[in-house]
Amino acid sequence: MAVKGFVRNMKPLDVLTGEQLEEIHSATLHVLRKTGVRFDSTRALELFEKNGCRVNHDTNRVRFPEGLVEECLRKAPSRFHVRARNPENDMVWGGNTTYFQALSGMRTVDLNTWEPRTPTREEYYDAITVLDGLENVSIVPWYTPWFGFKHIPPVMAMPEGLAARLRNTSKFTCAGYSMGCELFNIQMAQAVGAELRTMMAASPPLTFYEETIDAAFRIVEAGFVLLPTSGSVYGGTAPATIAGSLVSGNAEIMAGLVFAQLVRPGTRVIAQDFSFPQNMRTGAPAFGSMEISLHQAAFNQIWHGYGIPTDGGVCYPNSKKIDYQAGYEKAIIATIGALSGTNTIWIQGALYGELAFHPVQAVIDDDIAGMLGRFLQGIEVNDETLAVGVIDEVGPIPGHYLNQPHTRKWWKKEQFIPRASDRLTHPEWLKQGKKDCIAIAKERCEQIRSCHRVSPPLTESQEQDIERIVKEARNFYRKKGLISDIEWENYQKDIASPNYPYG
Amino acid sequence: MTDEQKGIIENLRKAIFEYNAKLAKESATQAIEKGIDPVEAMNVMTVAIREIGDAFEKGELWLPDLVGASDAMQAASPVLEEEMKRKGLQKESLGTVVAGTVFGDIHSIGKTMVTTLLTAAGFHVEDLGVNVKAEAFIEAIQKHGADLLAMSALMTTTMAEQEKVIEALKREGIRERVKVMVGGAAVTDEFAEDIGADGFEPTAPGAVELAKKLLGRNTEERAKK
Amino acid sequence: MALRGFLRSFKPFELITEEQVEQIHEGTLDVLANTGAKIYNDEALKVFKKNDCRVDFDEKLVRFPPAVVEECLRICPSSFRVRSRNPDHDLVLGLDHVVFFNFPGRDIVDLTTWESRPPSRKEHIDLVTVLDALPTVHFLNNYPYFGYSGIPENMKEMEGAAIRLAHSTKVTMEIANNDIDRFTFRMAKAIGTEIFANPNTSSPLTCYTDQTNACFLAAEHDLPSMIWDGATAGSTAPASIAGAVIASNAEVIPYIVLLQLLKPGARVAVANLVLPQNMKTGAPAFGDIGVSLHLAAYNQVWRRYGIPMVASSSGVSNSKVIGFQLAYEKTIPSLIAALSGSSAVQIHSSVYGEITAHPVQAILDDDIAHMIGRFVEGIVVSEDSLAVDLINTVGPIPGHFLGQAHTRRWWNREQYVTGSADRLTYPEWKSGGKKNDIEYAKERMEEILSTHTAHPPLTPGAEQEIEKILQEAREYFKKNGYISSSEWQEYMKTLQTEGRA
Repeated sequence: MAVKGFVRNMKPLDVLTGEQLEEIHSATLHVLRKTGVRFDSTRALELFEKNGCRVNHDTNRVRFPEGLVEECLRKAPSRFHVRARNPENDMVWGGNTTYFQALSGMRTVDLNTWEPRTPTREEYYDAITVLDGLENVSIVPWYTPWFGFKHIPPVMAMPEGLAARLRNTSKFTCAGYSMGCELFNIQMAQAVGAELRTMMAASPPLTFYEETIDAAFRIVEAGFVLLPTSGSVYGGTAPATIAGSLVSGNAEIMAGLVFAQLVRPGTRVIAQDFSFPQNMRTGAPAFGSMEISLHQAAFNQIWHGYGIPTDGGVCYPNSKKIDYQAGYEKAIIATIGALSGTNTIWIQGALYGELAFHPVQAVIDDDIAGMLGRFLQGIEVNDETLAVGVIDEVGPIPGHYLNQPHTRKWWKKEQFIPRASDRLTHPEWLKQGKKDCIAIAKERCEQIRSCHRVSPPLTESQEQDIERIVKEARNFYRKKGLISDIEWENYQKDIASPNYPYG
Repeated sequence: MTDEQKGIIENLRKAIFEYNAKLAKESATQAIEKGIDPVEAMNVMTVAIREIGDAFEKGELWLPDLVGASDAMQAASPVLEEEMKRKGLQKESLGTVVAGTVFGDIHSIGKTMVTTLLTAAGFHVEDLGVNVKAEAFIEAIQKHGADLLAMSALMTTTMAEQEKVIEALKREGIRERVKVMVGGAAVTDEFAEDIGADGFEPTAPGAVELAKKLLGRNTEERAKK
Repeated sequence: MALRGFLRSFKPFELITEEQVEQIHEGTLDVLANTGAKIYNDEALKVFKKNDCRVDFDEKLVRFPPAVVEECLRICPSSFRVRSRNPDHDLVLGLDHVVFFNFPGRDIVDLTTWESRPPSRKEHIDLVTVLDALPTVHFLNNYPYFGYSGIPENMKEMEGAAIRLAHSTKVTMEIANNDIDRFTFRMAKAIGTEIFANPNTSSPLTCYTDQTNACFLAAEHDLPSMIWDGATAGSTAPASIAGAVIASNAEVIPYIVLLQLLKPGARVAVANLVLPQNMKTGAPAFGDIGVSLHLAAYNQVWRRYGIPMVASSSGVSNSKVIGFQLAYEKTIPSLIAALSGSSAVQIHSSVYGEITAHPVQAILDDDIAHMIGRFVEGIVVSEDSLAVDLINTVGPIPGHFLGQAHTRRWWNREQYVTGSADRLTYPEWKSGGKKNDIEYAKERMEEILSTHTAHPPLTPGAEQEIEKILQEAREYFKKNGYISSSEWQEYMKTLQTEGRA
């Protein structure tokens, strides 16, 4: 049984005309054919060459014939099932369904000072529990909730993170790649019968490095879902124009998609829009800005036109606090994502850029997800909802609708009641301590954390497998010299302490 | 200075303000042909870059302007440097910087912004690219007599590599010879201090100021001598 | 030159199908023809009777034949200009652009305690000054606070109107309650600016005398009208959104019919402040997603009619504080309204419901309005913007685009750089005192208040003219029992303090 997600019952928002779509598509194919993409992997170069691409082995440049690109677009499935640890959390990506997913940040924040700090292991597990308990979180992706936690060496952040997610949520999860950790990720996922989604991130402009390609080979060969992405910054690693950055980014993503189809035809691919404009004062990405939404809307139109599901709507605010700016920055991106048909939208939990996450923020964001999900369902227009008879019966003033059966039946369907917002009148609000949405969300967060339990928990043998694989990863990286003596010492102390509930 | 020479100097300055790499290179070539002191020609460009930097600070110009100006200067510099070498003249420099993105990390745009702006500001920069191992940093520092090491790491998994490079410098006995600055979206003040770096800056323009500060407040006076 | 707002570059978002729009239209005609509306205005009843409507003079009930309704809707202009005394601030309202304006609050909110109180005259002037300065405030609502302290209830909006007319040259609107508009429009006329008449409906299906009188005023003096509907779905309108749209239509259309019968081709816009009912508290459910659904459907219907539609429910939230909830509750409906075809979207300055407002909030909302406006302007797809040759020249890493002339030429056109947002990295933010958007907006507010004045300022003669009309109004309302003796005494003291008695 799969989780339904939100079905969009109307046509998506289109921001490009048919002609503009065609121009962007032609330009993308032109770039793939003429400029090409650099792949720093002999194995990949051979694969491309074998399938009709022009390959320059000196510059590692691959130039793609149009026919091959079009063929691979056709081969990639346009709707597909993905398996979570608990089949009730399975999803179908593609078409007009939308799911929401948590959005990670490097560290947690103090909700008074707003300063970031590294979370503890306990906070890490608790945050995953909260995400598992939130109604509208369908995916708990890589690096979620945070990039790591105290006492673990950076190189173990991904394996420990995935282990924590597989233990504390039965929702669909994902894993990234770094230093070959996908080897362990794949094993852990297989041990608990879950599938993974892993990105194949271009290094813009127009480059894929060896580590990325190696990881992609492994993920595709394991039969998991690949997410090619660009991550370009327009004005920096892509042209400053939205149209130009779409061309450049799409060329990168398309190259990744072709790669996947050549390795294993029929590979499930979801195209991600993770591009941002460049902040031309600081050089950082301009998180939260309007151009992200325009880019995303066009991206969705293009890739849905290709019949490929999309991931995007990356709702990173630039604000460091849970405040007005964060609210509008996230709301705009999420709303455009939903209206333009993004299949998986990133929202719950993130604060500034990729640098902060808090479960209280996730609780608040879950309401936005619920609201937008309700919007996507649209409205029913039929005799009953048109209510002409009821209007006639009630008539003008002093008539009213409060006591009508029609009202009792319909009011709840036409509203969305959020769980963490202030819905009081002014006098009630004053009396009840002037609670804003943060105060309400804190209470709800604590409630979920203390009452919610993952369903089902791992079996004993699954738990043993996970622990064994994590241990293997530790020893692997230690042997490779990627964990220093001090790091190892602190790590071992942590594992031996009461902090560590496993093993 | 003849009128013709003045005209060439004016073009060199104009090339920087108009971000015109072609004009900058042509003017540099003409400057040499017409007997203009290459050091003076270089100074003209440095002053222009500084004015553009001031305008950036005031909010009148932006990063693409800084980078455009420095690209124009970098088109002209090799021509003038070649002439200075031929004449046995010392190229003025605020210091030599070895820069790179650490091993395991392939993000380059941040590092590229910093190296571009450092060059424009008057530093000599050896950019080692991405995925640079500690040994390669050490070799470059020794080969070029670097005053400053600038390392970039964008991911938490690769930040730790910056500490490894600093440890390697200590093992080689050259830690005291070179200042170390670190950067990258995930890097923080606390992390930089913990690993023993001399400084950290989150923005590209800020990195240039930090570089100047780390190499001594009188770097500009030293360069002018 | 005029204020036209942001030009749409793509078709509006459609929530429902064309067929469903027709069903709503048919339902609207059915209600108007069979249920009718109560019009408490004998003059209006006579006009309707004369024009083929079925009128029950005893019940004050009017039933409208579909042909009359269709014809009156047809002859409304789909775009029109409203003149200001500063032609640069003329307003053009139409279907292909979206403009933004402020949503009022009765009181000013304290930015520390979040409690509310009536503003002072200076605070009222300050808010109007800020609204006049903000580029995305294309016209002014009535209020924007409800008068100020020391003013009797019935004079609050008129004193407010006088402030708006003096301290802004942006087009504004009057209110029709107790026929106040008879004085307000004269103030506007005296200084050479047009003003929106503002007939409001009462739900369900009722038009009161003073509101209907506003139509006569508009017709007589050729004023544009902005007709406001503020039903509550589930109590004064059906709980179902489709039904609420019909009910709302059926409430505003009688005013449209009257206006067109009195003056064919009269300039008309409809404003929608329909909110679902909070079924726990009985108050409106400000910020609920039902607002967005309603606006999207309503927009589609009124675009079919070719009449400018104003989204008003977008401007209200249930949050008492300027924070995250306020942002998403206002942003989502404002964005959806703009995308689905509203000609005007109300957003600036409101905090809680219709109770509080603040100029700092207006400045924050200026960024949102800009962002939404930038979005509807869409993406440029051209040879230059596609940049295929440049992509080829730059190539893979180590190529980049930062130093390119193309980047310098385009980045500022493609990006909107927010005026009052935190755009810093973490270390800069920390060392700069952890400033957030409210603090940036406060700085902007101080800057505006110390530098901005309405242009051109009123002449002394014009100021006197306004004061003269205000004095007439004061005496009229006192004579007719709308101002008590104690209110009058306090009023006179207030005017004396202001040097106006």
